[in-house]
Amino acid sequence: MAKQRESLISAYHNYLVNNMLSPGFYVGVPDSATDFYFLADMMLPGEMTPPISARLYDNSGSFLVELKRNSIIKNPLHCVFETTPQGFRIVFPPDELVLDVNTQRFANGYLTRIKAKLRDSNGGLRIEPSYEGIQVYGEACLTLSAPFDRQKG
Amino acid sequence: MKRKERDSSSKDVWIFGDYRNYFQNRVTLQLIAKGRDLARNLGGKVTVLVLGEQVHQYAMEYVAHGADAVMVVDHPNLKDFQVETYTRIVASLVGNYRPDIFLAGATPFGREFFPRVAKRLKTGLSTDCIALEIDPENQLLLQTTPSFGGELLAEVITQNHRPQMATVHPGVFEEQPHDHQAIGRIIYPEVDIARDDRVQLVRSRPEQSKKGHLEDAPVVVVGGRGVSSKEQFQMLSELAELLGGEVGATRPAVLAGLAGEERLLGQTGKKVKPKLLITVGTSGALQYTTGIQGAETIIAINRDAQAPIFKMADLGLVGDARSILTLVLEKLRKRI
Amino acid sequence: MPSIRIDRHRMTIIREGVESIINPIDCVALEAALELREREGGEITVISMGPPQSEEALREALAFGADQSILLTDPAFAGADTLATSHVLARAITRLMPFPDLVLCGKQTIDSDTGHVGPQIAEELDLPQVCGVHEIHLDGDSLMVKRLYDGFLDTLRVSLPALLTVSHEISVPHHIPLGNLEKAFSEGEVIRWGLEHLDLTEEEVGLCGSATRVWKLHKAAAKRGGDIASGSPQRLAEHLIRKLEALSIIDEEEGKG
Repeated sequence: MAKQRESLISAYHNYLVNNMLSPGFYVGVPDSATDFYFLADMMLPGEMTPPISARLYDNSGSFLVELKRNSIIKNPLHCVFETTPQGFRIVFPPDELVLDVNTQRFANGYLTRIKAKLRDSNGGLRIEPSYEGIQVYGEACLTLSAPFDRQKG
Repeated sequence: MKRKERDSSSKDVWIFGDYRNYFQNRVTLQLIAKGRDLARNLGGKVTVLVLGEQVHQYAMEYVAHGADAVMVVDHPNLKDFQVETYTRIVASLVGNYRPDIFLAGATPFGREFFPRVAKRLKTGLSTDCIALEIDPENQLLLQTTPSFGGELLAEVITQNHRPQMATVHPGVFEEQPHDHQAIGRIIYPEVDIARDDRVQLVRSRPEQSKKGHLEDAPVVVVGGRGVSSKEQFQMLSELAELLGGEVGATRPAVLAGLAGEERLLGQTGKKVKPKLLITVGTSGALQYTTGIQGAETIIAINRDAQAPIFKMADLGLVGDARSILTLVLEKLRKRI
Repeated sequence: MPSIRIDRHRMTIIREGVESIINPIDCVALEAALELREREGGEITVISMGPPQSEEALREALAFGADQSILLTDPAFAGADTLATSHVLARAITRLMPFPDLVLCGKQTIDSDTGHVGPQIAEELDLPQVCGVHEIHLDGDSLMVKRLYDGFLDTLRVSLPALLTVSHEISVPHHIPLGNLEKAFSEGEVIRWGLEHLDLTEEEVGLCGSATRVWKLHKAAAKRGGDIASGSPQRLAEHLIRKLEALSIIDEEEGKG
């Protein structure tokens, strides 16, 4: 059988992860209160911004910032949230880019490109820039076929 | 691929994703809809093959319009639709994945690329099909095309070779509506993306379109072999203009230099569905009428009462087109 | 000097007056070859696959100015689809000494020809192809060609050897003075090659060598069958105008009831 990589593709919105399209993905354990995670949840027809939730750590393994569906909820080191024409970015002062989320609009759909280099609390590399998007490492689910946040009761 | 391979082919229907001039050119979407119908009969799935650079949007559109899966090869080498490069890659993928049926739009690219792929795969190809069905008894793809120069329809089969390949002109089938909720598989096969450099695109610029769009015109006036001169053809142009429409031509008229290829209607030309179509000096060959059968009302003018065109006209006028139209134009010029 | 060969596989049999019996689009390909030879030199060979009667059209090609005409004819070739046809033609081309620099074909014929044969010959001979060309120039050891394609005017560089299909916009065939025709018919010699000359087996050609076959033939359904009117041009013109009014394409004449 020929070698191939495979993912899911949504008609409405996809992220670029591991050089493949995907309707949604996560790295780590989403909603963990004490650990690294990154959740790029599904964006449903009618919505216009992809919901990103994450608990991020700096290079030395210290907790940096927590994001819930694009809103910062915990920010001990005073990272700056900036909106951009096509999304948003989070910057660790003065100018270190932590996360950039950029959504391109097509006639009938959207494509989100994420730029980030992220480590977990043990200093392990979990996300880094690759091609037009990101490459992810470690525990992850690369394709969501239903919104993660709606799955909970 | 012959008999042995035929038995081992999958039941899937593949469609070549021709996204040049998308959104106007919707032939791939139309083939996806037909492909789903065929795949259902076979118990297989529909996969659209998408080659190019930055093709994400097209992959999503194809899933939205009914593809079960898209197979994507996205690389800068594939930026232009380069025939030899695409032929090699597509034939290699078909050889690995073995679809039962492989369809493409009869666009200018499809017409020169698909025969090359069929030859490389040593399989059969029928072109400009006006119908595709699965025969319930033998599960073969019945490929219906107008036959050599006549009023007959030929049902062609590819018995022992696989895949069964066919091209279809835009406008023959209908697409499924766009579904935002659709989710499909996306496959990224491993493939050699070396470019064949023997043909290089030096320059490409949009062609100056002389007139309006034939396909959008509410009224179309067509001239055929019976229109014997440029002056007479000019009468048709004037009639079209007075009625707020466009003029078209059959292949004999185009070959005689009466109109450019962009005016060609029929199997190998444009297909139109205007409110009114007036067809002058056309006998009614199938290669032509497949391009106009969608018109709401057809009026035919021909001096031969036995001309087959009258069978598909709502109103037929048997007489000399020049005399009739001279009078008609006189009256219309006064009114409009 | 490059050598140029032309290739085609079918002709129309019905002759109309002194007009050419060669397929119009193939005429155009031959004319293109003649223009190219005039500018760049070379030798033109016309090849066709068909029944023995096709020899007439090949003589006409000689009258047109071709250097050599070859008819590929054999009962075994009958019933071929484009897969088998392109195989026979490609094999014949490989038999030409030297191998051609350029193979030219018509893009499509006046009947419902598929337009497959050119690309399929190119594939078998591993030649790069460009289809629908209306301008050809030699530039070193490659060709610069132009074509109208999908709403774009493309300029391409093609390395030789190559195969091109030409669109009818490339040139207008000149009418052959009767004298040349008579000379060609009495003196011109058309070479004939069959199965053996081409070193082909029956399985590779004709019906046996085809992948598709016609399974059924039927008449197309009559679609509408409306009124048919005849009479004087005045009456018919009136009829047409009234129909246009009925369809609301034009407004009814003022003063009418």
